[in-house]
Amino acid sequence: MNIHVHKIPSVAAGIRHVWNRNFLAFKKSWLVSAFWILLEPTFFLLAIGYGLGSFVPTIQGLSYADFFYPALLCTTSMMVSFFECSYANFAKLNYQKTYSTMILSPLRPQEIVLGEIFWGATKGFFSVLGVTVVATIAGHDLNSGIFGAWLILLINSVVFSALGMIIISLVRNYDGIVYPTSGFIIPMSLFSGTYYPLEQLPELLRYLSYLFPLTHSVALVRTLVTGGSLEWYHGLQVLFLLSLAVLLTLTAIQRIQKKIIQ
Amino acid sequence: MSQVVLEAKSVVKKYGDQTVVSGVSFSVNKGECFALLGPNGAGKSTTMKMLYGSVQITSGELYMLGISLKKNIRDVKARIGVVPQEDGLDPEFTVYENLEIFSAFQGIDSQVAKVRIEEVLKIAQLEEMAHRSVESLSGGMKRRLAIARGLLNHPEILILDEPTVGLDPQARLWIWSFIQQLLSEGVTVIMSTHYMEEAQKLCNRVAIMDKGKILAMGTPSSLVKELIGKEVIEVEMNPKEIIYFVNRMNSEGISYQTARNQLNVHLKEGQTNEQLIQRFHGYQLTIRQPNLSDVFLKLSGHDLRDEPL
Repeated sequence: MNIHVHKIPSVAAGIRHVWNRNFLAFKKSWLVSAFWILLEPTFFLLAIGYGLGSFVPTIQGLSYADFFYPALLCTTSMMVSFFECSYANFAKLNYQKTYSTMILSPLRPQEIVLGEIFWGATKGFFSVLGVTVVATIAGHDLNSGIFGAWLILLINSVVFSALGMIIISLVRNYDGIVYPTSGFIIPMSLFSGTYYPLEQLPELLRYLSYLFPLTHSVALVRTLVTGGSLEWYHGLQVLFLLSLAVLLTLTAIQRIQKKIIQ
Repeated sequence: MSQVVLEAKSVVKKYGDQTVVSGVSFSVNKGECFALLGPNGAGKSTTMKMLYGSVQITSGELYMLGISLKKNIRDVKARIGVVPQEDGLDPEFTVYENLEIFSAFQGIDSQVAKVRIEEVLKIAQLEEMAHRSVESLSGGMKRRLAIARGLLNHPEILILDEPTVGLDPQARLWIWSFIQQLLSEGVTVIMSTHYMEEAQKLCNRVAIMDKGKILAMGTPSSLVKELIGKEVIEVEMNPKEIIYFVNRMNSEGISYQTARNQLNVHLKEGQTNEQLIQRFHGYQLTIRQPNLSDVFLKLSGHDLRDEPL
């Protein structure tokens, strides 16, 4: 008789296997994904950075395109991660029963959620690389500050992946994802110092915008990409983003766990 | 003394103040085929889900392979196979990839998995479908793939939740012979079903469930013998006539069951049917072997909602 030794995968291995499932699915259509990932920022850089930007002399001592590019990195990271973990994962949670099947194996709910969040962040980061490539080809300065910026963008992607997972634990159908998108994600992309400096906002709205994670990502990434000097408060901003990433991830784990083990 | 591989002690499941499973206790021996039998909504699916950890136990204890599910469900999951009712196949992948990905979830080494995937594809007769997308499979094939997936880790216990629901007769027969093959190899099978004939054909023991409770438990033949008898006489008549005959039989101590426009008279061992056949002269009569449906009807007072009588 065969003796089958069952070794239980470690937590890290569990997360990796979940991540890998998504990577394998992505590999099937990566060319199409990559095309869109590169095309969209090209449109934005052209239309906003160069089109609209040609009417703006300088902004905080930068050309408008240079001012806008770091923000584009941040909004791309946010959008791609959020949509991956909301729309795509809503189907896995409810229609495809992907998580219900995963839980039949020794995988734990937290490994599933972490694997999904890291995958969302990976895809967000992949898009960030795409934007970097497009922008560099378009003539934007590429300096060592990009490494720091990438790190911030990775944290930013985790924040919005985790947020996406929390949203799908709350909504009943796809329409339910539209409200947080229109009510939170889109406004954030407009009021976080993305298209114009925060100083342009009325005082109340400006203080409100400090609550947006994107505001801090944009400030950090802009400083790093444009070679600005780092100040003490940048440390606080990093801390804010990191704490938010941890808090939202823990919330996502707790909420999705209840969804897959009833 | 046979080895107990599953023990449920007063298992309860509540959602808020709604009790779905109210204190079921049963045990399953190694190598046995055990079924939870009952209509939809009886609580058997919830009970099954508690066995494989997709539903949390509100109170009570569940031990599988000697391990408390509350304490170490992962060790249990590594040693059992589960075929859920909804298949849960990944539509983004092929048949082969579905098995490959689940092997990784099971923590099976990829080289070992390669060999095992070929084996389970063969068992499920899906070798030719290996590189087809899951979407292109028929319902029967999808179920077979879900079974193949449940076998990847050489499970000691295979749990099948309503394995033949929604399948055509041919696919159902395949699953029946598969389960019999599995049992002959010494694997323990725990299943849920609302098909009486399925339970009767495959299972050593059944637990009849209704409204979250186990009404009776035993081998199909002993349940039939003890609770019904050796023979059933079905008589078609209108409700008024039923009342008349029922009153008569009550005074005589003959057991029976009424259902819609039908009176089922249960004959115990040693009772003869001649006198009764004469009594029902002129009515449409059927004399048949009793089965688990009769048992269910007697215990629950209602028909299996999905089963034609």
